[in-house]
Amino acid sequence: MDLTTGPELDAFREEVAAFLDTAPTDAIREAGRKLTSVFSPFDEVMEWHRILHRRGWAAPAWPVEHGGTGWSVEQRYVFAEEYARRNLPPLLPNGLKMIGPLLIDLGSEEQKQQHLPGILAGEDYWTQGYSEPGAGSDLASLSCAAVADGDDYILNGSKIWTTLAHRANRMFMLVRTDSSGRKQHGITFLLLDRLDLPGLQIRPIVGLDGLPEQCEVFFEDVRVPQSGRVGAENEGWAVAKHLLTHERGGSTSSPSLYRFVQTIREAAAVRTSPFGGRLVDDPVFQRDLGELEAEVASVEHVEKLAVSGHPISADLAFPSLNKTVSSELTQRLTTLMARVAGLQGLPQQLQALHVGSGAALLSDDFDLVALPYYLNSRAASIYAGTNEVQRDLIARTVAAR
Amino acid sequence: MDFTFTDEQAMLRESVSRYLHKHYTFAARQALVSSDRPYSAEVWQHFVDLGLLSLPFPESVGGVGGSVVDLVAIGEPFGEHLLVEPYLASVLLAGKALAATADNVRARDWLQRILAGTALGAFAHEEGNGTPDPAQVALRCKGTGAAFQLDGEKRLVLGAAEADVLVVTARVEGEPGRRDGLALLLVAPGAPGVRLTPFTTVDGRSAAHVAFDSVEVPAEDCLSTDAYAVITSTVGDALVSLSAEAVGAMGALLRQTAEFATTRRQFGVPIATFQVVAHRLADMKIDVTKARASLLYTAALVEAGRATPRDLSVLKAQVGRLGRSVAEAAVQTHGGIGTTDELAIGHYLKRLLAIDAMFGDSDYHYRVVGAGA
Ligand SMILES: Cc1cc2nc3c(=O)[nH]c(=O)nc-3n(C[C@H](O)[C@H](O)[C@H](O)COP(=O)(O)OP(=O)(O)OC[C@H]3O[C@@H](n4cnc5c(N)ncnc54)[C@H](O)[C@@H]3O)c2cc1C
Repeated sequence: MDLTTGPELDAFREEVAAFLDTAPTDAIREAGRKLTSVFSPFDEVMEWHRILHRRGWAAPAWPVEHGGTGWSVEQRYVFAEEYARRNLPPLLPNGLKMIGPLLIDLGSEEQKQQHLPGILAGEDYWTQGYSEPGAGSDLASLSCAAVADGDDYILNGSKIWTTLAHRANRMFMLVRTDSSGRKQHGITFLLLDRLDLPGLQIRPIVGLDGLPEQCEVFFEDVRVPQSGRVGAENEGWAVAKHLLTHERGGSTSSPSLYRFVQTIREAAAVRTSPFGGRLVDDPVFQRDLGELEAEVASVEHVEKLAVSGHPISADLAFPSLNKTVSSELTQRLTTLMARVAGLQGLPQQLQALHVGSGAALLSDDFDLVALPYYLNSRAASIYAGTNEVQRDLIARTVAAR
Repeated sequence: MDFTFTDEQAMLRESVSRYLHKHYTFAARQALVSSDRPYSAEVWQHFVDLGLLSLPFPESVGGVGGSVVDLVAIGEPFGEHLLVEPYLASVLLAGKALAATADNVRARDWLQRILAGTALGAFAHEEGNGTPDPAQVALRCKGTGAAFQLDGEKRLVLGAAEADVLVVTARVEGEPGRRDGLALLLVAPGAPGVRLTPFTTVDGRSAAHVAFDSVEVPAEDCLSTDAYAVITSTVGDALVSLSAEAVGAMGALLRQTAEFATTRRQFGVPIATFQVVAHRLADMKIDVTKARASLLYTAALVEAGRATPRDLSVLKAQVGRLGRSVAEAAVQTHGGIGTTDELAIGHYLKRLLAIDAMFGDSDYHYRVVGAGA
C-alpha cells in the first residue's frame, strides 16, 4: 500500500466526492443518519445500491470481469473514507459480500449468469438461510430436509434468524439431504430463486430495538428445482465454510468505525457534562473516546497490512480474529454512544426511526439512534458465529488441544 | 447487626411477590406496555389496598411510617416483574418531596390525595443528563413576591402525562452550580404556558418533556426557596428504591439465564457445560451478590441515618455497572433468542440501562466516589 498521495489519487478523491455529494437522494441520506444496524433501511439502501451500480461502483471488491471497479487498494480506501464521511448507508452485505463472491468462486457458469447481474445491480436481495431453532452454534446439526423428487427437491423444516427474509426475493440455504453419516456430511447448499413459493411462510421477529430485522421461515412441502444446488449433493458444508471466510472478512471497515468516533465527538461538543461544561472538554470522556479511537486505528492497521498482502492475513485465525475484534469494538462504540445520549436516549421513537416518516424528533439524530444502535449491536457478538465459538477457533491456532 | 428482612418485611414482600407472580406475568406486562394504557389501574388499586402508597410516609402526614428497608423489600419484586406503574414518579419522588415540605398546606393536601390513590404526582427535576446534582438545576424561576414565573424545560419527567400535579425544581437565584437559590413549586400540568410532549421510554414507562413558557405560579404553590436539601434527600431515597429494582431484575436475569443454559443444547450437550458459558454464569452470580449486598447494607445505613453521599454513589455506581454487565451477559448467553423482544431478557437489559441513566450513571457516581466526596 502506498502511503503517499499523489495528484492522481487526489483527482480520484475529488471525483468520488463529487458523486457522493450529489447522487444520493434525501431519503438515502436520511437512511444514513438513521442507521442503527449493519443492515441499512431496506428500500433506501437498495435504491442507493442501484444508483451506485449505474455509476459502476456497487462492488469495488469484485473482479473486474464480474463488474468490479478494478480500483487499487488505495482507491478503495479513498472511496470508503469519502463514503463514511458523508454518513451514507452501507450497502447490504448478503449479495455483495457473501453469495456473490461465493458464486464467483464456486457457482456453475449458468448460476453465475443467472444470479450475478441481479446481485450486482441491486435488483435482487438474497437472505441467508442457515440457522435453525436447534442448530445455531452447532450449525452442522441442521435438519431442514430436502428430498429429491424428479428434478426437484421437496423442503420441510424451518430456518430462524434469517435476516431481512421478509424483504428478500431470493435465499441461499443449507438443507439436509442425508442423515446417515457424520453430521457435516449430507448437507447441501441450495439457491432459491424466489420466495413466493407455496408452502413457504415468513414470520418477522422483532428485535431488542423494537424493529423487525430477523425472521423465521417455515417450509411445508416446498418444491424447488435441484438446479439451484451449488456444488455436489451432500457436500454443502465445504461450500458454506468457503462462504464463512467471506462473511468474516471485512477489508475496508475502519472508515466506518472512525465514523462512530467522529459522530460521538460531534455529539459531545453540543452536550453538557453532569459536572458542568461541554462533555467534549471533559478529560474523562476524552480518555474513553481516545481509547476507542486507538482501537479503531489498530483495526485500520491490521486491515491495511492485510490488503497489502502482508502474511498477517494468511493466519488461519484471521477471519475469526477480525470478526471478534470488529464486533466487540462496534459494541464498545455504541455503548459509548448510549452513554453520551444518556437519558435523552431513553424515549422510544420507532416512528421517527422510519425513513420518510417525517415524525418530529424529541431531540437530535444522535439521541434518536444511540440506544437502538447499542441494542442492535448486542447481536454482533452472536451472529456470523458467536464470539465464544470464534475464540475457540482462534485458540486452536495458538495451542493444540 | 442483622441485615435480613424482619418478619413483617418478609410478609409484605411475599404478598407483593405473590400478587405480581399471578397478575403481572411477563405476558401481561407486555400486553399492558403495548396497549395505550400507561399503567394498570387494577394493579394500582391493589397497591392502594395493600397500603403500598402510604408505606413510605410518616404517620403525621397519614402514612404508615415504613422505612427505606421496607421499600427495598418491595422494590426487588417490582424489578423482577418489570413494573411500569408510577410508584417511583408519584410516590417516591413527588410524594417524598411533598412530605418533606408538608408544613405547607397545599403540599399536605396533594400528598393526602396521592397516598389515597386519588391523584398522581410527578417530579419535574430532570434536565437532560441525569441531573444527579441538584445544584446544576437551571430552569429559571423569577420571583415577584406574590407570584413566580417559570421559563425553561424539564426533560423525561416520568409520569408527567398522567400527573394531576407537577412538583417542579427550579432556580430562583444564582447560576447553575450553586446549592442555594433552588425552589420547589407546585404546577398544574394544564396551567397556561405548560406544554407536555409525552412519549414512552424503552423500558415501557410513560414520560414527557415539559416546557414552561412564562408559567405563573402563585406564592402559595411555592413550597420552598431553599430546596437543595429536600431535593437531595428525595433523590437519595429514590436511588435506593431504584437500586432495589435493579437488583430484582439482576436476580431474575441470573435465574432465567441459568435455566436457559442448562436446558439449551448444542453439540449434544447443555451449553452450561461449556466452560466459557459456565464462567459467565459464575461472573453473573458474583455481580448479583455484590450488588445485592451493597443494596442491603446501604439501605440499612440510610435507615440508621448514617448514609453519606459517597455511600449512595457507591450503590448507584455499582448497581448501574454491574446491572449492565449482568444483562449483557444474559443476552450473550441466550444467543439469537436473547436479541429479540419476545423474551424478558432484553426488557431487563433496557430497564437496567434506564436505571443506570437516571440520576447520574455509573461513570458519574464513580467520579463522585473517586473525588473523595
Ligand atoms: C441479528 C442476527 C442476525 C442473524 N442473521 C442470520 C442470517 O441471516 N442467517 C442465518 O442463517 N443465521 C443468522 N443468525 C443466526 C446466528 O448465526 C446464530 O444466532 C448463532 O450462530 C448462534 O446460534 P444460537 O442463536 O442458536 O445460539 P446458541 O448456539 O444456542 O448459543 C447460545 C450460547 O452458547 C454459546 N455456545 C454455544 N456453543 C458453544 C461452544 N461450543 N463453546 C462455547 N460456547 C458455546 C454461544 O456462544 C452462546 O453464547 C443471526 C443471528 C442474529 C442474532
